[in-house]
Amino acid sequence: MNKSSPGGGPQAALGKLSMAGAVVAVAVGAALVLGLALLLKALGAHPFTLKASTSSSTGGQTVAHLTISAYPDSMAGEHGKSGGAHPDWVSYGPTTNLWVPAHALVKMTIKNYDSATALNSPFFGNVQGTVGGVAYYNGKPLKRINPNDVAHTFTIHMFPTAGQPPLDVSVPLLGVADNAPNAPGSQYPKPTVVTFEFHTGASGRYIWQCFDPCGGTSYYAGFGGPMQNLGYMAGTVTVGGGAVA
Amino acid sequence: MPRMTPAGRTVLIWWAITTVLGIALVFNIHRILPGLLPTAASPLAQSQDFTLGLFTVLAVPVAMLVWVTAAYVLITSRTREMPTEDGPPIHGNTLVQSAWLGVSSLLCVGLVVYGLALLPDIYTPRPGNQLVVNVTGQQWQWTFSYPGYGNVTSTSLVLPVGRPVTFRVTSVDVTHSFWIPAMGVKVDANDHEITQAFVRPDLKGNYTVRCAELCGLYHAYMQSPVQVTSAARFVNWVHQQKPATA
Amino acid sequence: MTAQTSVGRPAHHDPNETKPDNPLKRSIVSGIAVGVPLAIIAYFVTSGLVHTTNADPATIRNDSLVIAYLGWGLGFLFGVGAFNRPIQWALSRNEPTHQDELELAGHRGGAWRYFRFTTDHKVVGIQYLVMGMVLFAAGGVAAMLIRLEVIQPGAKMFPIQTYNTIIGMHGLIMIVATIIMITGPFTNFVVPIMIGARDMAFPRLNALSFWLLFTAVPIFLSAPFFGGFQTGWTAYAPLSDQTALGMDAYSLTILFFVASTAVAAVNVVTTVATMRAPGMSWTRLPILTWGSVASSALGLVVMPSFLASQYLLMLDRTIGTGFYKGDRGGSQWLYEHLFWFMGHPEVYVIVLPAFAVVLELLPVFTRKPLFGYRTAVGGIVGVSSLSMIVWAHHMFVTGWSPTASGPFMLTTELISIPTGLVFLASVGTLWRGKAWMTVPMLYLISFLWNFVIGGVTGIYLADVPTDVQLHGSLFVTAHFHYTLMGGGMMAFLAGVYYWYPKMSGRMYDDRLGRIQFWTMQIGFNVTYMAMFYVGLQGEPRRVGDYAAKFAVGNFISSIGAFVIGASMILLWYNLIASKRRGAIAPANPWNAKTLEWQVPTPVPLENFEEIPIVTAGPYEYGTPAEPAHIAGEGVPST
Repeated sequence: MNKSSPGGGPQAALGKLSMAGAVVAVAVGAALVLGLALLLKALGAHPFTLKASTSSSTGGQTVAHLTISAYPDSMAGEHGKSGGAHPDWVSYGPTTNLWVPAHALVKMTIKNYDSATALNSPFFGNVQGTVGGVAYYNGKPLKRINPNDVAHTFTIHMFPTAGQPPLDVSVPLLGVADNAPNAPGSQYPKPTVVTFEFHTGASGRYIWQCFDPCGGTSYYAGFGGPMQNLGYMAGTVTVGGGAVA
Repeated sequence: MPRMTPAGRTVLIWWAITTVLGIALVFNIHRILPGLLPTAASPLAQSQDFTLGLFTVLAVPVAMLVWVTAAYVLITSRTREMPTEDGPPIHGNTLVQSAWLGVSSLLCVGLVVYGLALLPDIYTPRPGNQLVVNVTGQQWQWTFSYPGYGNVTSTSLVLPVGRPVTFRVTSVDVTHSFWIPAMGVKVDANDHEITQAFVRPDLKGNYTVRCAELCGLYHAYMQSPVQVTSAARFVNWVHQQKPATA
Repeated sequence: MTAQTSVGRPAHHDPNETKPDNPLKRSIVSGIAVGVPLAIIAYFVTSGLVHTTNADPATIRNDSLVIAYLGWGLGFLFGVGAFNRPIQWALSRNEPTHQDELELAGHRGGAWRYFRFTTDHKVVGIQYLVMGMVLFAAGGVAAMLIRLEVIQPGAKMFPIQTYNTIIGMHGLIMIVATIIMITGPFTNFVVPIMIGARDMAFPRLNALSFWLLFTAVPIFLSAPFFGGFQTGWTAYAPLSDQTALGMDAYSLTILFFVASTAVAAVNVVTTVATMRAPGMSWTRLPILTWGSVASSALGLVVMPSFLASQYLLMLDRTIGTGFYKGDRGGSQWLYEHLFWFMGHPEVYVIVLPAFAVVLELLPVFTRKPLFGYRTAVGGIVGVSSLSMIVWAHHMFVTGWSPTASGPFMLTTELISIPTGLVFLASVGTLWRGKAWMTVPMLYLISFLWNFVIGGVTGIYLADVPTDVQLHGSLFVTAHFHYTLMGGGMMAFLAGVYYWYPKMSGRMYDDRLGRIQFWTMQIGFNVTYMAMFYVGLQGEPRRVGDYAAKFAVGNFISSIGAFVIGASMILLWYNLIASKRRGAIAPANPWNAKTLEWQVPTPVPLENFEEIPIVTAGPYEYGTPAEPAHIAGEGVPST
């Protein structure tokens, strides 16, 4: 190897590429990534949001009414009659995205068609954050129910994001009997009906979830499957700007 | 002792200048980036902030030694074309290598000794009358119960200012991590295990408990409010809470 | 039968034969043709078996996927011809002739040899390079998606379970990509030539290591189609027991990937130990060789622990064992130990070859010998050894054993001493040297900038009191990106530009390379400085939504990340377009002294007409009237 004859430096031997080609490549690449992002966004988009029906009561207080249900499968909620990808997963319906007005009294009803699974943490057998600290179970006011009799919980809890007020509401749902027969003309037994009221503050975006380990016994602590995916046992609560839906 | 070359002197001078400037920057970083570190609401957090500053100050001369030397060579000797002649055939310098090894070893041992001295702050309770708080992590909420006060349980953490706290942390499902950024406290919450963390909050205010270990769907939302308040207000609060259901 | 074969042989092995390869034989096509049907059959057979043995299908999980993945893997490897020789050997068929070996090494050339079981180390090196680039692209797309989600608070882009899966996909793809990025392409392509060998010690194992990796990739990329896995790449149990079937894809990926690294590592170590040319003593080995051996040997020890962790996890998930389940006497700490016993040394598996690339290239561009060769080797070997006893620093805040924190803090901080020696070698080589500012040299300089930041911030995490605050925050994420990306990947990019002329036969576009360099550096430092900032502020890792006070830092970080993405596209464009339109590369464009630059470009099969005799070290720059350090008679002159 002769040091004095380097065999031509790279600078001398360069073939120039066009910068336009590079710019096009970057644009195409960016478009592909953005396209994938939008595809994933569309795939994950929620089918619809359930808006509370509102009315003004005496004193100008906005009152909102919202009714949802908890099912032992996915055949009655947002996944359609066929149940979608996981028909056997427990679910809330008709949807898990909820909207309620700001500065309102929300009167909520939850019909539960599912049987009980003992809570991982008995604390969530308590009713919290509701008017009077109670919920009405088939009409009967209770501050707590036996943690072993809980089918699901409906728990709003998010703190803090963008300066929105805290909104902590937790209501356990009483399970139907394990071997309850289906009601006439229905695919489910007669539900237990839970009603409760809570106040909303300024507008904000919150999440809710179920704390009952209803995700199937084959998952550790019962928190697999429906517990780990939006649209089943978890969703969002949007507190709106007070506009009537 | 080898005589210092002009190049060596230049590098040394610039190393000293940049080191002083860098350390000055470290001392003033809170003016440039306010809110860089969370409020230090406990002696532990203050000590951690001091350690972060100390390590940064120690790092400045080390980093500058590498960067100033590299910058000097780039500024004085750079060329876009293939160099027509080679650099000097220096294969090493025993003195430089020994000195480097010695200094870096000393620095390292110093850091270890410093860290060992601070370990008791992490792993042993602050002296005094302990407030025991049982912390339970679950997917995706913290609950706090106070065995000294009838085992009352809440989803928010309220602590009296100035009283040492022992957190006894566990989980009922997967691994979480109990973290109060403002207090410099962190310990994992493990199923079927109880782990401990210790702190003495000494600044009233509102802070946050964070889960710091990915725990599934709503990990991002697994946070709870912390309030440090006067002893009287704490007692008042604790008596309003419900006991944990049996 | 035997007679027929022996009669058939001479005609079949006519050296002048120009019949093109049958693309369907021992190739990616035959691999897929066997692998995919086997996977489908395996799935339905096991699925049927599971359902007939259990009364209530709703209470079990359909983990038949595991068997299907195994079916794919074994079927593909059979189809690609990975087991041909072992089977022939077991059946006592004839030993392969040299002609057979040439056949297997792809001696006829052509693009198709890159898509089949080819043993030539240069083909394997290029296969690894392309695979590494593809993995970087896949992981990079995931990174872009992550930064799109967190560019502002509110999780407005994807549902949060999608985000949780993307971070794990990004993590593991990038870990695999960085593990193979230097030892895959450069160790395979360059090291055998550097040490004066005709190929690796075990050419079939070399091909096998690549195809094992190739087997793993589609398994992993299928994870999102089976629900993904919301665990991050650490896959901590028992969360990984709860998550979707995508987790099984993860575990099976690791099974194949660890086998791949083990096969590759044995090969590298054996090659360097036994295949060195006459005169190539251990003290004359180019430093890349040392880095490759240290990294491979380390991987050989620690990677099986990853396999074990995932094997036990797979059993926990499928047949219901309780290794990691607290309610059955198992322990999440067991998982954490098995994982980190691999997980921390693994960063050195990544970074040691990167150190070596930096030290290999600096003498070329400073035109000076490597400063303190033996010290540098000591540093590399020291890091490699120490790295095996530091893993529990990942567990300072797990509550596992406070008394162990002191010793593990000691070992962790000790590792800064040999790392410092590598830096001394870098700075010492620069000192009084030329600074030939080529694109590879720019990347070497960026390594010195980035890795110092990565190293210094590592001290904060090695020290228990500060780790308690920073552990699990984005500070950690920023730190390891400064080491693995700012250090490791910049060294890889230096290597790509440096060896591209030898590997492709063309020169890259210099101007585009410089633009790529600067966009990469600016994007990188903006991204991760902003991430240090939000980490110090107290933002945890792996959150798809966050409080308002972290919004500014995250926005800046996302912008920086998009610049990195654009920069990587420029790299792809440069490498592909230059392969077609770049200037023909001379054999030794850098006027470098190591052996790979003394052979012609393209490098002929078996590299050397005659094995060279080495008479001097690899970095004899600036020595007047130097003896040519390669005295081999038959070395083709450039």
